[in-house]
Amino acid sequence: MAYDPRRTNSGTSTPQPPPPPPPPETSTQTDMASAAQALETANPAGAATDSYKLKFCTVCASNNNRSMEAHLQLSGAPTAFPVISFGTGSLVRLPGPSITQPNVYSFNTTSYNQMYEELCSKDERLYRGNGILNMLDRNRQLKWGPERFQDWVPGVPRIDNLSKGDKGAIGTEGGVVDVIITCEERCWDAVVDDLMNKGNTLNYPVHVFNVDIKDNHEEALTGGKAILDLANHLNEAAVAEHLVHGSEGWANGTGPARQSFDEKVPEILADWQERYPNLPALWTLAWL
Amino acid sequence: MAQPMDNVIDQVAQLNAARSLVLGDAAFYPQIVNGILPIVGASTRLELRRWGANFLAETFASPMLAVAQKEQLAPNVLQTIREILELPETDTTVLQSLVQTSASLYPLVFRHVVNHPQDSKSWETMTAIKQDILRRMDSFPCPVKLCCAKFIQRVVQVQTPGLISDPRRPDQNETSLAVVPRNHALLSIPNLEAESSGLLDRLLGVFQEETSDALLVNATLNCLAPLIRTRQSVANKIINTILEFYPAKHVHAPFTPTIRVSVKSMERTARALLINILKKNPNHPLAGRMQMYIERLMQSRLEATDDASRKRGLPNEPTDGLDNAKRARLHALPPPMLKIPPMAPGPASFDRLFTLTEDTGLSSFDVKQLPIDLVLKIVVPLLSQVHDSTLAQAVDAVRTRYQTITKDQNLQRQLQQRAAAQDEDDDYEPEYQPMDVASVISEEASAVAAEVADLQPELVSLGPFVLPQPPPLSEEEAGEIGRSAVARVFGMLNAAETSPAPAKGLSQQKLGFARLAGSTFDRDAWSVLLARLATRAPAGLENDQPTKGDAVRRQTTIADSIRETLYRFILEDFRGRLNIAIIWLNEEWYNDRIQMKSAANQRDDTEEDSEPTVALNYDTWATRLLDGFLAYLDSRDIKVLVRFLSEVPEITIPITQRVASLAKDPERVNLCVQSLMYLIMFRPPAREMCLNTVEDVYQTYEESRPAAGKVLTKWRPQSTVLKPANDAPESSESKPTTSDP
Repeated sequence: MAYDPRRTNSGTSTPQPPPPPPPPETSTQTDMASAAQALETANPAGAATDSYKLKFCTVCASNNNRSMEAHLQLSGAPTAFPVISFGTGSLVRLPGPSITQPNVYSFNTTSYNQMYEELCSKDERLYRGNGILNMLDRNRQLKWGPERFQDWVPGVPRIDNLSKGDKGAIGTEGGVVDVIITCEERCWDAVVDDLMNKGNTLNYPVHVFNVDIKDNHEEALTGGKAILDLANHLNEAAVAEHLVHGSEGWANGTGPARQSFDEKVPEILADWQERYPNLPALWTLAWL
Repeated sequence: MAQPMDNVIDQVAQLNAARSLVLGDAAFYPQIVNGILPIVGASTRLELRRWGANFLAETFASPMLAVAQKEQLAPNVLQTIREILELPETDTTVLQSLVQTSASLYPLVFRHVVNHPQDSKSWETMTAIKQDILRRMDSFPCPVKLCCAKFIQRVVQVQTPGLISDPRRPDQNETSLAVVPRNHALLSIPNLEAESSGLLDRLLGVFQEETSDALLVNATLNCLAPLIRTRQSVANKIINTILEFYPAKHVHAPFTPTIRVSVKSMERTARALLINILKKNPNHPLAGRMQMYIERLMQSRLEATDDASRKRGLPNEPTDGLDNAKRARLHALPPPMLKIPPMAPGPASFDRLFTLTEDTGLSSFDVKQLPIDLVLKIVVPLLSQVHDSTLAQAVDAVRTRYQTITKDQNLQRQLQQRAAAQDEDDDYEPEYQPMDVASVISEEASAVAAEVADLQPELVSLGPFVLPQPPPLSEEEAGEIGRSAVARVFGMLNAAETSPAPAKGLSQQKLGFARLAGSTFDRDAWSVLLARLATRAPAGLENDQPTKGDAVRRQTTIADSIRETLYRFILEDFRGRLNIAIIWLNEEWYNDRIQMKSAANQRDDTEEDSEPTVALNYDTWATRLLDGFLAYLDSRDIKVLVRFLSEVPEITIPITQRVASLAKDPERVNLCVQSLMYLIMFRPPAREMCLNTVEDVYQTYEESRPAAGKVLTKWRPQSTVLKPANDAPESSESKPTTSDP
């Protein structure tokens, strides 16, 4: 009986149900018709083969360099984590011709493509040289545009992002995440503070990590890989928990030797920190 | 239960499709929720229960689904949850989702029951779920326990009175105990309140555990912000509990990396919570303590050691390509030390200056004998061979020698000049004539030129440059400079005045009699400095040259200009600067005494005919100051006047006369009599003088009679002026003129 409403709705154009994992990222505008067609075949298959995955959220100041590098790493990994990303700044700030003339854009309403075109027309040589254009080019293939963390309403479905072909959108349709990773202590503070302000209405626990990464391309790349490493370890623990308490283990009840995923988090972070002593980390358990 | 695996997979796929549908359009929720409940209920397979619990949690948390619809869906869902819980359910994931769902449902059901007192079944089910969760909380696995803490937070938030924003629109008010009617059939306010109070204690219990569980502490800290913000009645209790909590104290050695991560996370989360509260309400009554707590957390030793090891050090490779380590010549020999002999004795000459060898043969060799091209051939290859540091050492040696020579010569020149100046002093004419200035300057200039000419040794080109002596200051210029110096000290006085008063008062109290003038750099110190500058600095000088009228006039001008400035400074705000006036007058008086004493000694020592005179300043300035502010005294300024009169070192007749003149003004009669009375009572040396003055006042000014009469009857009952008044009080008005003999 759950099938029927979907069939009646699949022809209408209003909210699009999830399309398949977006193929090549040549165009950000996915054809509505093809998405609707693909839905029939891809969705059930995807759900069936999916093993358990943690849902991630990466955050930096402008949602351009560090959080997007991590977004790329997480969504592009073999595990293809569900991931969304945000910035905590008041505006998107990109380096300009001098330190006092940054290029400033507003969150949520400017796309990476717009920024790319604008900077291309302004001074292509400069922005090619300092890597801004390459960065924006990468970003526009990942998602539509920078989003502000403070404007995010957890729990609001992100179906649109899925239909737009955002990388890492599969699994985040519900608008909630299990892990938030910020790239700067300031952002971690802003995220924890904002979650308190949002009122914890979802009663949904979320681990908030900070991995301190300097804001340049090289460090973002190193940091992104380190974040992926952390994510892999966290996910490993979460999957193990599902198995232990799942089909094999649930009949036996819980044993003292089996620690839950949540309990393992401080340990995982401590181990990770030993391996990345140059990326100071921080963590808390907050609520969405 | 025994469905084949394929069937389950298929079902989950269908359910996922249904979920996609409601995510796309929330209007389908009621249909889907009611549809899935039987599929995911208590007796179905684990996969389906997991999916169902997760979906329910998502549904009731969703901001897209209207509250009214959630409320409608609640009863059916409650029943399912209760059944699954009573299974008893043991899967962590299912339990986690169910507790989450319950936390979301609790306010909904509570509100529903408030508005529908007849629906006892819903409330009963909700209560049963609540009891079940609370009872099993401690035995639940950790992830579920975390969600239970959040559930408790929800219950406390609902069952504590909140703010009623608008009593006329009950449906818009936040769900809290405040919306429950007093006579509700199911909900008893005192019971609910007691329960929530107990639950809050249970929630805050994590901060009092001997060993803290970082997960539970962080989870609790992170969910307290809404409680503190919206529930005034419990906010302070929560904050106080947190302020007692120091994460580093609740862990035990060994400090493994995991423990370190935990402590740091608890510290940072507690800090984040308090900062969140302070940001919302910077004037919070506990703000001071919260600030202190935050600072103390920052100093936590554990974090300090942690940070030291974690912070990025300096990069190992040079960042600018100019790293010293890279440029070091590893195979270079240490430069040989050059032996520098002292310069040859005798008059300095270029060849002595530059001779760095002790070999007599070499030093006596005349290079001029060699042809220039030969010298070049030798020198150029030599220079390229010479070691850098050897050359530097040699140059340094020559430089030092040269500096020594010039210093010596300067010293000689100064000695000569001093001798010349002494010669000039002998010719000094006491009568100073400004006309001479130009000629003196030209004389001096020529003298300097002559000296330079005298000092032409063999080192002509190296003759030191001597700045010509500045022209002597004229009297006006000297006075001007003196005044500007005084003005700067007054600037300090003003600057010190703006500094906070309490600190000054404190230091003064502490020092008391042990205080040294000018030891603290406050206003008083500067005023003492000024007063002494005016009084003591020129004191001896006036007596040294009693005959030189000019000099004396100049000295007094400077001292008097300071006095004049002080006088004006005090009058600008005589109420506030009265203590400066008193400091100053005390200094003046003391200086007068000292001067008189030294003058007396002088007279004893020398013969009789020299009569040293002493210019006494105290009287002049005391009366001037009094005159200055008397005019502005208000009838209520009794304290100012009494303070002045009691603290100045000496009361003189002119002073009492000035005070008496106050009685001219009928409004200030009392001021006059009271201040005199004060002097009579507390200043015995001035008593007679003041009583005389009161008599005068009594006689001169009619309005003073009642007050002055009382003073006189008490202190001088035998006074003659009183007699007629005492005899005939009625006729007192006509008496005073006649009673004055």
